[in-house]
This record gives sequence, C-alpha cells and structure tokens, in this order.
Amino acid sequence: MFLGDSLTAGLGLPAELSYPSLIGSRLNERGLDFEVVNAGVSGDTSAGGVRRLDWSLEGDVKVLIVALGGNDGLRGLPTADMQKNLAAILDRAKARNLVVILAGMEAPPNNGAEYAEAFRQVYVDLARSYDVRLIPFLLQGVAGEASLNQADGIHPNARGAATVADLVWKELEPVLPRPTTPSQ
Amino acid sequence: MRFVVLMAAREMRASWKRLLFFFICIAIGVGAIVALRSVIQNVRQTFAGEARSLIAADATINSNQAITPEVAATLERRLREAGAESHRAAELPTMTRVADRPGGRARMVELRAVERGFPYYGQLKLADGQAYDHELLRNFGVLVRPELLVQLEVKVGDVLSIGSQRFTIRGVIQSEPGRQMGAFTIGPRVFVDLADLEKTGLLTFGSRAARQRLLKVPADRLDTLVADLRADFANEFVRVRSYKNAEDAIGEDFERSENYLALVGLVIVILGGIGVSSVTRVFVQQKMKSIAVLKCVGARSAQLLAIYVAQVVVLGFAGSLLGLLLALAATQAIPLYVPNSTGVEIAYAVTMPAVVQGLGIGMLVSLLFSLVPLLDVRHVKPSLLLRDEARTRRPDAVQIVVTLAVVGGLVGLTIWQAGSLRIGGIVAGGFAATAIVLHVAGSLLIRAIRPLSRSTSFALRHAVLQLSRPGSQMRIVLLAVGLGSFFIIGVRSLQENLIGQFGDRMTADSPDMFLLDVQRDQVEPVRGVMAQYLPPGAVTPPLIPVLRARVVGVEGREVSLDNYEDVRGRGSLGREYTITYRSTLAANERILQGQMWDDTPSKTAEVSIEQSISERFKINIGDTMRFDVLGRAVAATVTSVRFVEWSESRAGGFMFVFRPGALEQAPHAFIGFLKGPADVETRARMQSALVAVAPNVSVIDGREIIDAIKTVIDNVTLAVTVVGTLVVFSGLMILIGAVAMTKFRRVYEAAIFKTLGATRGLIASVLVLEYGLLGVLAGTIGAGGAIGLTWAVSRYALDIPFTPLIGLSTAGVVITTVIVAIIGVVSSWEVLQRKPLATLRAE
Repeated sequence: MFLGDSLTAGLGLPAELSYPSLIGSRLNERGLDFEVVNAGVSGDTSAGGVRRLDWSLEGDVKVLIVALGGNDGLRGLPTADMQKNLAAILDRAKARNLVVILAGMEAPPNNGAEYAEAFRQVYVDLARSYDVRLIPFLLQGVAGEASLNQADGIHPNARGAATVADLVWKELEPVLPRPTTPSQ
Repeated sequence: MRFVVLMAAREMRASWKRLLFFFICIAIGVGAIVALRSVIQNVRQTFAGEARSLIAADATINSNQAITPEVAATLERRLREAGAESHRAAELPTMTRVADRPGGRARMVELRAVERGFPYYGQLKLADGQAYDHELLRNFGVLVRPELLVQLEVKVGDVLSIGSQRFTIRGVIQSEPGRQMGAFTIGPRVFVDLADLEKTGLLTFGSRAARQRLLKVPADRLDTLVADLRADFANEFVRVRSYKNAEDAIGEDFERSENYLALVGLVIVILGGIGVSSVTRVFVQQKMKSIAVLKCVGARSAQLLAIYVAQVVVLGFAGSLLGLLLALAATQAIPLYVPNSTGVEIAYAVTMPAVVQGLGIGMLVSLLFSLVPLLDVRHVKPSLLLRDEARTRRPDAVQIVVTLAVVGGLVGLTIWQAGSLRIGGIVAGGFAATAIVLHVAGSLLIRAIRPLSRSTSFALRHAVLQLSRPGSQMRIVLLAVGLGSFFIIGVRSLQENLIGQFGDRMTADSPDMFLLDVQRDQVEPVRGVMAQYLPPGAVTPPLIPVLRARVVGVEGREVSLDNYEDVRGRGSLGREYTITYRSTLAANERILQGQMWDDTPSKTAEVSIEQSISERFKINIGDTMRFDVLGRAVAATVTSVRFVEWSESRAGGFMFVFRPGALEQAPHAFIGFLKGPADVETRARMQSALVAVAPNVSVIDGREIIDAIKTVIDNVTLAVTVVGTLVVFSGLMILIGAVAMTKFRRVYEAAIFKTLGATRGLIASVLVLEYGLLGVLAGTIGAGGAIGLTWAVSRYALDIPFTPLIGLSTAGVVITTVIVAIIGVVSSWEVLQRKPLATLRAE
C-alpha cells in the first residue's frame, strides 16, 4: 500500500507507469503474490493522509509505504504539524503491525535553508523514533533533472518514475514478508 | 469651359438652399466616419496600453527552470536583431519571518524580484502616494503588501529575513502591473531587487522559481520576434507571451472588443456612405428637369456632365471638409460628456488615416451616385424629360466602366483601411449581399402592404401607392433607412451582448478568496471563522467536498487504452478527476438526459456525468462506471448527463457528480469559494484566523487579480459604450438627412394636390401615413437584419453566447417609425405652407 500524493498517484502518467505500478509488475515478475494498492492522491498533504488512512487500510495490508509531505513543503506548511500528522500515521501502522517504509521529501530551496533543514529533520527523527526504514529523498536523482520530469518541473515523467521505482525497490525488497517455507 | 464654370456657379446661386442641404448631409456623413474611426483608433491605442500593463511589457519570456546557455545565446541574438530592450525578473514562493524575533511564525509570501527598468508599462503603485523607484529596493529593501504587515505585525522600517538575508521594509504595495492573471498565489506579494535575491541562497538547484525576461520591442518587430522565439524554443521549457495573446479570459475580452471596434469602424463607413449616396441621388434627380431644358437650348452632353459633376465634386469636397471640422469638434467634446471614473486617459483626437478615409468615401460615394445617373443624360431626349416619362434603359459600356471604377475605388479604400484584403473583401461583399437582401425584403414588404391601397381612406391609399409605385424614390430611401437602422440596432445589440458577457465574468459578489484542503474535522471551525468575518446575515458559503478519482472501467471495458499523449492532455478518461457529491444541481448546470436524484442519500452509487464525457467516450445512462477512489473501487450507475456552463463556473465545475450516500465515508477534503471582507486588514486577520484553526488550509486570495481584471473590464466597457453611442447618434443624423432630402420631391406634388382642393390637414395626414409606413417597413427590415447580424457576429466573430434582445429590437422599430414620420412631416412643413401657384411657377 502506497500512501502518497501526486508523485505516487502518477499525475500526468498513464496509471500503469506510476512508480507503484512499476513495483507491482516487478513483484509479479518475481512470482511474488502481492497486490499493489496505489493510495496516492494529487494535492494531498500529510494532514489529508492521516485522515484517510483508515479508509485506505481496509483489507489485508502487509507493507505500508508512506510518501507524503511534498505538498506540505511546496506550500510551506509548518513542519511541526507535518511531524504530528506523519507520527499519527506511523502510530496506527505500528498498532496494526505493518511493515513501514517512510519515504522522505525535500522542501524546495526557495522556501529557505532554515525551513528545508527542519523539513528534512522531520523524516530523520520519525524514522529513528519509530524505527522504520527511511528513503531519505523519494526523488533522489530525479528532482531538478529536466530529462526525467514533465514540463511542470515537479512531476517525474515515465523515465523519472522508473528511477523512483528502482530507489523504492531497493528498500522494499529486503523487507517483503516471505511466505514461510515448509522446512521451517 | 468658361460656360461650365459659369453655369455651375449660377446653379449654385439659384438653388443654394437645396445645395446647402446636400452639403450639410455630406458633412454629417463624412464627419461621422472621421470622428468614429478616430475615436476607435484612440480607444485601440488605450487598449494596447492596458494590455501591455497587464504584463508590464510588450512581451515576456517565462521559464520555470533555469535558462540553459544555449537558450540564453539564441535569446540574446534574437533580441539584438530585433533591437529589443529587456530586463530580467524572477518570481517564487518563499517564506519570511520577522528578523530578531525568536519563535516568530514564518509566513509564505510570493516574492517578485525585478531589475531597474521595471515596469516598461503600467505603474507600481505604493500606499500613501509614495512614488516607486528602483532605489527603494536596492541594497536589501523590500516592498510588501499590506496583508503581510498585519499577519506579521510589522510596519515600514522593520526588518524581515528572507532566505539567508535581511531586508528592510521600505514601502507598501497598492497595486502592481504585470501580475500573472489567474496565477496561483499562496501568500502576499513582496518585491525585492533581483541582485539581492541572488544572494539569499533561494535560487539554488531545484528551486521553484519562475524566471522572466520582460521585453520592450519596436512595434513593427514584435510579432516577428515572438513568432521566431516561439519557433526557437518549441522544445524548451520556455513560454513566450506577447501582450496581444489571448491566453486568458481577459485577453479574450480584449480581442473581442478589438473585433467589435473593427466591425463598428466598418459599419460607420457604410452608414456614412449610405447617407452621402442617398442625398446625392435625390439631388441629381432633382436636376433632371434643368438638364432637359439646357439640352433643349443646345447644351452638349459633355458640357452638362461637366456642369453637374463639377457641382457635386465641389460640394462633396466642401461638405467633406466641413465634416472634418465636425469630427474635430466632436472628438474635442467627448471628454466633456464622458465621465472618466476609471482613471484611464483616452486621448481623443482626429487621426490621419480616418481623415483620408472620410474624405475618400465622401468624394467617391458622391461621385458614384451622381456620375452614373448623370451619364444617362447622353441618351436622354429633351422631350422625354419634359414629359416626365419614366423610362428604363440598359446601362451602356461607359456607365458600367465608370461604376466599376468607382466601386473598385471604394472597395480598395475599405481594404486599405481594414488592413487586410480578406476583411475588406468580406465587408464589400457583405455590404452588397445585405443591400440585395434588404432590397428584396423591402419589395416583399411593400407587396405585403399593397392590399391597403384599396382602403377607403384617401390618405392611407395614397401613402401606400406612393411607396409601391414603380420608380418611386421612396424605395431608395426605404433601403437607406432600412440599412441604417439595421446597422444601428445591430451595433447596439452587439454592444449589449458583449458587455453582458463581461458582466458575467465579474460581478460584485464574485468569490475572491479560495480555501483549499479543508479537512472534515476542520469544516466546523472554518465555518465558524467565516461566519465571524462575513457581514452579519450573509449566507455562509458552502464548503464543497472534493475527492480524487480515476475511472478504471466502463461496463467491463478496461480504460487503459489511452496512450501517453492522451493522458498528458485533458482528453483522457484515465486521468485523475476531481469529483464531488451533492443532492442538487449547481446554478450553471442543467440536465440533458436522465434525471437528477432526489435529496435522499443512497448507498448504491449513482453518478451524473458531464456532456462531453458522455459524447467522447460514448457513455450513456444506465452504464456502470468503475472508479478508483483512493485505492478502493466504487462502481456507480450513470443516471444523468449534465450540461455545465463552464464560463460561469464561479464555484467550480465537475465532470462527475455523485449522489450523496456512497462517498461520505471516503476520506476527503473540502474547498470553499467566498467573497472575503473588503477591507485589507480584516481580510488579513480573517486569513490568520483560518490558518490558526486549520494550519494545513491554504487560503488563496484572488482579490488583487480580480480588482485588476475589473478595472480593465470597466475601461473596455466604457470604450465600447462610447463608440456604440456615437454610432447611434451619427447614424440618426445621417438618416435624418436622407429622409429630409426627400422633401424636395413633395413640393410639386403638394402644390398639385392643393390645386385640386386638398386641405393642409389631408396632405399632412398623407405625409404622416406615408413616412410612418416607411418607418415601420425600414425598422422591421433593420431589426430583423440586426438579429441575424448579431447572431452571426456573436457566434463567429466575437465568440460569445447570443441572446436575442426582443425589447431592443422592438424599440428599434418603434423609434425608427416615429423618427421617420416626424422628420418627414417636419421637413415638409414648409411645403404645406406654400401657396401652390408660386410652387408651380417655380418648378
């Protein structure tokens, strides 16, 4: 289950080219029986994410990838509020014993170094205190590269989404719950 | 030669009264053309100025990424070639806080950084009459909007930190030119110097800064430069915009007004032409008697032609000159009568092209309508003329050649003035077609009233016969008055439709504040804040639930066939849609098929789809659509197809509207559109209060932009109204002239009637009926034609919805009738008073 914003929803891309869908096909290729649920909502903030978690978590969710905060950063929302919202999501995931990966974002530099630093720190602190895996920056290597983004300069294009999928896969693969083998 | 001159001079002396009238009519026609064309050119210049101040330049080059060296090199080369000046600017959202106030809250602002030379057009207005100068920004100065002062509790002179630098507040912005219309603004505006911005560290890799180059280009190079740059940068992240582009609603309004003015300009030429032509015709027909007499005593055809053409030319030229003076006086008088409430100066002055066109039309039209009938003289036997026998003869080669030459001259003049062969051709063709249609309509109408000629009332019988008699001059007048009222009513209705369209876009209660991302648990607190700040008794604006969803299938068809390009465009069904639920239709919607649900919620999902979705993807009532709503599948039955008037979507428009009941449990946010408090400080406090109860809510203030649009629309409306009123006024004058001219024909006829024993009262009632009938016919032709014209122009030239204006059309018919009847009778008053014997002798 990917809980995210437009980057996760694949804004401007056909549904099958969004990075969660790419991960889904990779799971299939490896014969792993997982279904990928894309709970990415364009324009959503961490405040929206915490409020729709229950709706999206219905069903037998095993792994939760939290990829929120991009819009908080774009709009310059207070980092303390974002920390509170993300913490609430992690709390609930913990209560359900889900495997969680927290995907971090960067605030754009135009909001100032001070804000960008505080923003980055939110993810680091949360990953440490909840002991979850952290992808420090979901758009690592993609953000700011014209050739990997759509014309708006924010959303990855098909190639950019593939790069994001690689990055997420690296963190996801080791923690996938393996079906118990008969020998054990 | 001497004979010609002497004869012409004698004629003028003998019938100076008649000639004076002819002279004045030409002056009015030419005056109307010159005055209106001048005013239109003045207004256009003002429009161009306003349009430029909207982007603060002749053209701008925008990029949301740093400009690459290759792009920069091409750009510099093109600018050099075109002789353009330029300066740079940047725009970015950023955060600011009060320096030296620990723990103070940071606010989002929209920062604009400019260089010396900004703006090329328009004015950056500061509060308290402070004048803007780039020095105010230099060396870490900042200008801010008043909202920010309230939100941060600071004043001029305080220091703000932006990025890694400290800026001193040196002034308060009242309004600024070059605001991107419709741009997403999430905070108050602040201005700094571009050189200072570069030192703040806010422009590093990945910064969401838009860079702009403002250009000032010599007028004749602008279009080429913009086209070249667009071609150069077709594949780059660079957008080139000229002030002439209709990229947004306001640009479209400009373009529409331009088209309207161009149209009116051509109409007035035709109106003026009609005025001149109808008086010339009548004038020449009056002269036929004298010509016959001169022929009897041995004058040659060439001499006769020379005498009368000389008269027409002299009078036409003198009349045109008087027209110029009238136009001059009119343009001087306009500013005295038009209230200038918007503060935009329109310099009213007569322009050279208008003068040339006015003179040209005056001379050519009077020549056309005098020379061609006068050429008949060559074949006319004096006896025929003296016996007053109506005679029709095929025009010979000379007449055809002369007609073609003069018509060619007129068309050429129109084409030259319209600045395009196509438009000139359309106007000339359109005019000819209109004349033919109106002529046919006139004949049909005359035939329709013919039964009245068997009426028992002598006056009515006679009036009808006057109109329907073969060779009656009244038909020509009917055509002229019909055409005239056609254009007047047409221009007037277009004006109403156009201004109505502007009004739709911007009414006093248009929302100017937008709330995004209000969460469900924040709805009540947000409503509380709204109620507190809105005027007591005002209805609290609704918060509209919005969800994001993708369509994943329609009745088993998987919808993933869209290719990449489809998804990028808006044509795809698979893209993310914003959906809502509600129990009623919005004001700008109506049901095309199916039925809207009642207000009871339903657990099974029902959806109403927008017309274009139904048409493009062939989805009909009863189909089941499957949606992916936040990762869950929702299947909904299509129960209705809606039409949405997008241009009036003041509260958002939705492709998919759901019946309440199915989606409430899905997590979703709300958006709100409201009209905020008028006072800047109260607005700022309201925004702070909203953010305090719901920190994640973004409050977008559209006030400044809406104010700017409003000013522009007010100016455009004013200009359109001034021009429209002038058309009506001068059109009336022209028509009055054309009708009054017919009185000379009455003189002889009235004398005969009187001799035969008719009373003045009887003759007067014949006149009233005759002119009244003429007015009704002409008005009907005009109003009918005007409805057709307005429809076609609204639809094809101005691209606005057409509303038939029944009241206006009816008023047009009534006013035409009344005016024609009054003028007919009043101008013939003298005829009624005259003793018949004197008249008969004189004739």
